[in-house]
Amino acid sequence: MDLIGILAYVILFTTIGTMVIGVVAYLAFKLRDKRKPGNKRSDETMDVGGPLEPVFLERYVPGVTTDHAVQPATDDR
Amino acid sequence: MEIRIVGRYVWRYGWAALAVCAVFMLLALSYEAVQDARSAIMILLQNWALAAITFYLLIFLVLLIFRFALLILYSFLDHLESLYKERDKSAVLYREESSLPMISLVVPAYNEGPVIQAAMRALLALDYPNYEIIVVDDGSTDDTYEKAMVVASESVALEVRVVTKRNGGKADALNTGMTLARGEFVLNMDGDTKLSPNALRACIRRFENPKVGAVAGNVKVINRENIWTRIQALEYVEGLAMARKAQSFGRVVNIIPGPLGMFRKSVLQQVGGYDRDTFAEDCDLTLKLLMRGWHIEYEPTAIAWVETPSHLLDLLQQRYRWTRGILQATRKHSHALWQPRKAGINCYILWYMMFEGVMWPISNIVGNLFFIFVGLQYDVTFVLFFWWLQLMLLDVVAAAYCVVIEEEEPSLIFFAIVFRLFYINIIDISKVFATIEEWRGKAMTWGKLEREGKL
Repeated sequence: MDLIGILAYVILFTTIGTMVIGVVAYLAFKLRDKRKPGNKRSDETMDVGGPLEPVFLERYVPGVTTDHAVQPATDDR
Repeated sequence: MEIRIVGRYVWRYGWAALAVCAVFMLLALSYEAVQDARSAIMILLQNWALAAITFYLLIFLVLLIFRFALLILYSFLDHLESLYKERDKSAVLYREESSLPMISLVVPAYNEGPVIQAAMRALLALDYPNYEIIVVDDGSTDDTYEKAMVVASESVALEVRVVTKRNGGKADALNTGMTLARGEFVLNMDGDTKLSPNALRACIRRFENPKVGAVAGNVKVINRENIWTRIQALEYVEGLAMARKAQSFGRVVNIIPGPLGMFRKSVLQQVGGYDRDTFAEDCDLTLKLLMRGWHIEYEPTAIAWVETPSHLLDLLQQRYRWTRGILQATRKHSHALWQPRKAGINCYILWYMMFEGVMWPISNIVGNLFFIFVGLQYDVTFVLFFWWLQLMLLDVVAAAYCVVIEEEEPSLIFFAIVFRLFYINIIDISKVFATIEEWRGKAMTWGKLEREGKL
């Protein structure tokens, strides 16, 4: 068998192998994702007060300082 | 010192030339085999089903060659343009230290305990006279907030603010940070990112052009410790950096990466900040900017070092999220797909994203399955080899080009072969499944990666 023939078989078996690995790995990832306790968000307060509102919709006017910009963060400790 | 630098260049160019020559030699060797097997190849046209798939794969291959050629050409033109600009430094608008505008660095952090301190300390050492740091702890369940506060209290010369909020996702944390930002420019990054000291200076120069609304940075892999992370290092250079460089020539970078993106604050406010309805908020925001006509450039010298997944399942989780997120963002702006006159260049950008996100992985899988079937059924295994060889040739040429342009390790060229041989098949299967699940509207979660603290 010539070099190209050997390489062809190497590529054939490698491709089949990696595709099988790809499917198995994907199933394993989905299974892990399903079992992971972290999927349930751990911050119990997140749903308090209903859905979050966008906080960044105030239109910017150059030259005018908004309250947001000068107010120090309330959580800044 | 000079000799060492020249030596490094010669070493890099030498390896790149050698790799390209080796692949072309293999192609020349296989030419004879193709000539001998010409009658066997006609099997591919034996019936209409085989002919149709062959024809489809041929179109895909032509598109792929066209894509690589265009990206290399445009990225090279961008490279030349940056060299030309470098020569004309006297025209720099922000050349005086006192005239440099303020930049607010927004660092969203969710359970980044192992890496947050290293990332923040790197930020304190940035070479720029006028900036502030805002760390937004997105309701972490670990000690991210406490660790960030320790570094904040160490900082004397620079203002570092650490705020904590209830968990609302990365987009929400970034929006919070931007609301608090006092700078004219906002740099958004990830909590696990380490910026190169020149990052701010390099990016801010790009805003001399008032049409530029944002600048994307160059993301590189820091934890090159095993085969997965080394292949990703190549992927970041070849698949992401080269594409951004090429797009930057037309000022239409389609994804400002999460680890390093600088924006005009006014532009962010104009588009309403980040939306929370996709899993690729960076891609969505970039498309919003492009749709409004803002120019987006890429700055290759502003480097963001990131920790990439070093295990296969973590990697699949990341790619699954990227694929679905990009599809979600593309769908949000899909009106531009069908309005080439109105959307202009944005129409082509979206089609390019569809090609990269959907057609490429599906065609890879279809091509492999088809040639495996044909090879085994008709005993013509070499057709799979030729298919693989052509794709590998494109990969190696692109890798060699990127190693030279990006001044990267020459060993990355070798990983182009491993990339084509093992890696991309595994990744593409996940991408195809992600596409199917997105199409079916299956629910998904963010899937936070565990950090190993390699920064």
